[in-house]
Amino acid sequence: MNAPIEGIALAIVIVGLALSTFVTRTSFLVAGARGRLHPRIETALRYAPVCTLIAIIVPDVLMHAQHADFSLLNPRLVGVLVSGAWLVFSRNIFGCLALGMAAYSLLRLAQ
Amino acid sequence: MIPTEPERRSAFRAGQRAILQSLPGAATWGLVSGVAMVKGGLAVPWAIFMSLTVYAGSAQLAALPLIAAGMPLWVIVATGFITNLRFVIYSAALRPYFVQEPLPKRAALGFFMTDFTFTLFMRAAQEHWLPERHRDAWFAGVCSTNWITWQVSAITGIVAASYVPTDWGLEFTGTLALVALVGPALNARPALLGAVVSGVVALLAHGLPYRLGLFVAAIAGIAAATLTDAWSAPRTSERTEAAP
Repeated sequence: MNAPIEGIALAIVIVGLALSTFVTRTSFLVAGARGRLHPRIETALRYAPVCTLIAIIVPDVLMHAQHADFSLLNPRLVGVLVSGAWLVFSRNIFGCLALGMAAYSLLRLAQ
Repeated sequence: MIPTEPERRSAFRAGQRAILQSLPGAATWGLVSGVAMVKGGLAVPWAIFMSLTVYAGSAQLAALPLIAAGMPLWVIVATGFITNLRFVIYSAALRPYFVQEPLPKRAALGFFMTDFTFTLFMRAAQEHWLPERHRDAWFAGVCSTNWITWQVSAITGIVAASYVPTDWGLEFTGTLALVALVGPALNARPALLGAVVSGVVALLAHGLPYRLGLFVAAIAGIAAATLTDAWSAPRTSERTEAAP
């Protein structure tokens, strides 16, 4: 594992992220009267965030010292499963966070 | 910021009233993002700087684990960019409504748009309660109110989290917040299949250098979702053509 990003490098990352917000949000508004999105491209753009976030969450939750830990002794996995189960029934994000954190903390303390 | 002409000011105020109902949601997300940023390892001034400049909760949450893991800078920025790609669709959808406005105003209205404010704008347009005139002032009222709410709650979360001990494990709220973002989007087969493909590939490709596995997984997932969408719902393209 590398050291966390700090200082000038962190400033560059944050400015880069801010630019990515600016460029995507203003793209077509600034491009003026020309250009439309091809339907197939629009479909791909619609699914991009979900697929990217999943690609971040899954290894973050499962990978432990270069191995995937699918066991129910993995506190992160159990926390995410509990939060996911809550989301099936409710959109309330407080319940999702509270239950997920509770399951994660209980399992972590028990170990 | 508040317009002085009476007509424009009343449009601005109407926008402020329209966003009122979604402010508790925006405040909750702001608070959670603030806590996750600090517990994800950012010092308080950096977290506040990030909140004020990036102003995109999902991209911020996605970037946190990569910043903590010391990933290459371009990987982090590219990940944020892909997470923000949905705004390109929003921007294209808003363009017809603001095409007559001057360029700086279009850019400003675009930058301050979020998932919440875009959804509200399109609903107002479809349900015919968007004002005929001074739409820019109306949307400015919507977006500025949402921005202030988000920033106040995010900074509250940032400051509050800095007093919480690290061993409480609150950094996990960032992961759970991402789950809460993704969960409701998995309501149809293409997104579900894309998520499964993306998750499996992310695990298999985890050993690739520079976290390239992240991009391989995202692209595989997007391809799977797009193909499923085209194959299962041929009406998607017609729906897109009918949009304003």
